[in-house]
This record gives sequence, structure tokens and C-alpha cells, in this order.
Amino acid sequence: MPFAQLMTSGIELAMNQLLKLDEDSQQRLKKLSGKSLQVTIKELPWPLLFSFSEQIDVRAVMPSDKDLEPTTETVDCLIELNLETLPKLRDSSQLTQLIQQKQLNLVGDIYVAQTFSALLKDLDIDWEEQLSGYTGDVVAHQTFASMRTLFDTAKTQIEQGAIELGERLTQSDSIAVKPSEMFEFSKNVSELRSDTERLSARLALLEQAKKADTGLNN
Amino acid sequence: MSTPDTNDTSASTQTSESTTHFGFKQVDTSQKVNMVKDVFQSVAAKYDIMNDLMSFGVHRLWKRYTIDCSGVRAGHKVLDLAGGTGDLTAKFSRIVGESGQVVLADINDAMLKVGRDKLRDKGIVGNVQYVQANAEALPFPDNSFDIITIAFGLRNVTDKDKALASMYRVLKPAGRLLVLEFSKPTNDMLNKAYDMYSFHLLPKIGQLVANDADSYQYLAESIRMHPEQEVLKTMMETAGFEQTTYHNLTGGIVALHRGFKF
Ligand SMILES: C[S@@+](CC[C@H](N)C(=O)[O-])C[C@H]1O[C@@H](n2cnc3c(N)ncnc32)[C@H](O)[C@@H]1O
Repeated sequence: MPFAQLMTSGIELAMNQLLKLDEDSQQRLKKLSGKSLQVTIKELPWPLLFSFSEQIDVRAVMPSDKDLEPTTETVDCLIELNLETLPKLRDSSQLTQLIQQKQLNLVGDIYVAQTFSALLKDLDIDWEEQLSGYTGDVVAHQTFASMRTLFDTAKTQIEQGAIELGERLTQSDSIAVKPSEMFEFSKNVSELRSDTERLSARLALLEQAKKADTGLNN
Repeated sequence: MSTPDTNDTSASTQTSESTTHFGFKQVDTSQKVNMVKDVFQSVAAKYDIMNDLMSFGVHRLWKRYTIDCSGVRAGHKVLDLAGGTGDLTAKFSRIVGESGQVVLADINDAMLKVGRDKLRDKGIVGNVQYVQANAEALPFPDNSFDIITIAFGLRNVTDKDKALASMYRVLKPAGRLLVLEFSKPTNDMLNKAYDMYSFHLLPKIGQLVANDADSYQYLAESIRMHPEQEVLKTMMETAGFEQTTYHNLTGGIVALHRGFKF
């Protein structure tokens, strides 16, 4: 199975789906049309190459192409960074600072990197609007109020997890799970589970309420 | 490695002056082009869905791999030969952009038409040209393209040596050819399982979905008759390609051959 391609097709699909959900993103994507950006994440075996048109195409630069190392003649902008620095790219105003701190290598047109970062950061997706297409406005609104709480909790947990995972990945010693970590993980999972259960109970209530509502109107 | 049987020798896929294989059958060389045409005429409408079904969607990854190895960039001129319904063309078109060009060439107008309609629906217009052409005698000037791809097409071509020579001619110096094609699984177990699949299951799926068991029987047979990895590599070298290499995908079910013209 070509794993690099499995990964790039996943990234490509996710990015383009997200862009589709934000009507204004097309306008911002246009600024990048015809440009390309190569991102080397040191922990990944293959550099990623993004080409911009009316959508984003993502390719893996295969090792057999090492003899054809890209230069700024073939790619508009090349950046190289650690996985750890990746989340910081979301703030395009930080780019120059990251370069100065040597956390990021950049060759070529910085505008491409900045615009790409802004494109993703400024994604403004009205999830409530998306859902209301299926469920009607009231249910969508209520659901989102609950979802937001759940997401906030999940986000904190995921961020915490990511930091821990990052630390673990950089420590080259044992990757075996320690009992204390397992305990922490199970605790997180059960917290998440009870949050989810609370949400689904709330959804069930809402559904009942909605049924009762429509029943009265008939 | 087993010695290739007589049908798979590098010199030619023709068994004698006047006959060649069509799947496992022997037919007049002059007839094969039309018989292949009939196959694709009849599968054209259901081609995409069958591809997904038959390969469990993995053909998309094989094609992505081909594009990743093509080194394509903005401004390039690409020939997607035997391009059929245009999967590779779509991606190439977005990458080469306005300053580049993609030619989708196929011998079969039904496949070209399905391809053209599909690409138009996807909003791909402008830098794509559609050309009905036989790979054995490409209607383009010498040194025209930076990249040529032929995906799952070469095995259907009657005279593969002639086709490779024709591709070499129209490729620009420093350009590269990528041949994506079914090949020989490297593992015996996989080989057997794969034979079971392609000779027993595949024609049944073909019958069920496309109501056309014969065409899919031909596809299975033509896969088996196609020259295996090393043989195809030698054929490319004979045609003049240099730095020729191949890479097995999914255990050699498919191989990507690559060669340069210098
Ligand atoms: C299996 S399809 C592959 C289509 C497409 N490249 C893909 O990968 O999905 C094979 C294609 O080869 C075309 N073909 C067969 N013989 C040909 C020839 N001699 N010259 C050009 N195209 C040919 C057929 O018409 C058909 O569209």
C-alpha cells in the first residue's frame, strides 16, 4: 500500500472539504492560484508539496526524486520545520519571528507561506448553519451550544495529549506505556465518554421536545 | 524469476507476423486494435465505478504515486496517454496551471467522451486538449512533452515496442515516461490469491455491475499476458529510455516503470 499517498490523499480531502464549507475561502485561495509550497516536516519521511488552483493538491515528494531536489525555480516557497513548530504556523504574523528564532527555515516567497497560513487560520465555517440544513434551526442551535462545551473540554484534553505525545516521541527511550500514563489515558477517555453521554441524553431530550412541538402544531 | 513465456519476450508482443494475443486468444494482428476498442467501448460508461470496485479504491493511490514520481510542475506539458476517463489528467491540469498544458489521448472516442464530460463537470477546462490517437503512432511533433504517462494502457496496445518508440520520439530531452501497469506479484501466495481473484471474481463483478463478463475476462487475461517487471524495463531500454527503474506497488500487483530521455 502506498502509505505516503494514503496520507496525502487524506490531507487533501480534509483541506478541500473544509474550504468548501467556507464560501469566502475561494476568494483567499485565488491569491495563491498557480503557486506551490513545499513543506518539510523533519519527523516525516516525505516532504509535502502543496499546489494551489481552485483547490489544493497535496503530493508527497518521493525519495527517488532526491536527484531532482526542488529549488525555488521549481517551487515558489520551501519551508522546513519540526512537528512542534507546526501549530505555530497558524499565526501567519509569527512567521518572521519563527525564522529569526531558527525554528523555521524558509527559502523563496514568504508571501506564499503567509497566505497559506492565513487561508487555514481564517476558515470561518458556520457549523450550525451546516447542521440546520439537516435538523432545523432550533435543534441545530441547541446542539451547538452543547457541542461547544464538549469541544472545549475535548480540545483541552487533546492538546494535553499532544504535548505528552510530543514529549514521548522526542524521548528516544522506551515507548512502552507506563501504568500511570495508562491510568491517565483511561481517565481522559472516561471523562470524554461521560461528556458524550451527557450530550446524547441532551439530544434525545431535544428530539422529544421537537416531536412534542410538531405534535401540538398538527 | 521464471522465464517469461514466448508471448512476453521483449522484442515484441506479437507471436508471429500476422497474429497476436487478445487476452489468451490468438487473433489477427490487424484485428486486435478493433477488439480492444470494442472492450473499452462497452465498459466506458461503467469504467470509473468498476475501477473503484475492482481495486477497492486503491487505483487512486497508485495514480497518485505516479503523479508524485512525475516531478510535474507549473508550466509543464504533459501527455496522459491511453488516458481514458482522465483521472490523471484532472490532477495534472490543476498542477501545470495556465502556463502548462495537458493532452488527454486515447484510441477510443467513447472513453474520451466520458473523460471530457467528467473533467468539464469538475470545472477542468482551458489547459486540456483531447486527442483521439493510437499510442503506436502518436500524432505529435518530436520533442513535445515534458512528461508522458500511460496508466493501465500499455497492455492493451498491440505493438508495445512501436508504442514505446513513439513515446520516446515525442518526449522532450530530459523528459520522463511513467508506465503504470499491472505486473507480477512478487510473492507466490499473493500471486495465487490474485489469480483466483482476477479469473474468478473479477468477471463475476463485471457481469453483475456492468453486465459484461467478457470484457472483464479479457482484462484479467491481458493482465496475465503483460510483460513482467524486468521484461518491460528491458523493452523501455531498447526503445532508448535511460535510467530506467521500476517500483512495485501493492506487492507487485502493479508496477510503476520510469525512464528518461536524455
Ligand atoms: C484500462 S484503461 C485506462 C484509462 C486510464 N489511464 C486510467 O488509468 O483510468 C485503458 C485505456 O487504453 C486505451 N487504449 C487501448 N489501446 C490503445 C492504443 N493503442 N492507443 C491509445 N490508447 C489505447 C483504451 O481505449 C482505454 O481507454
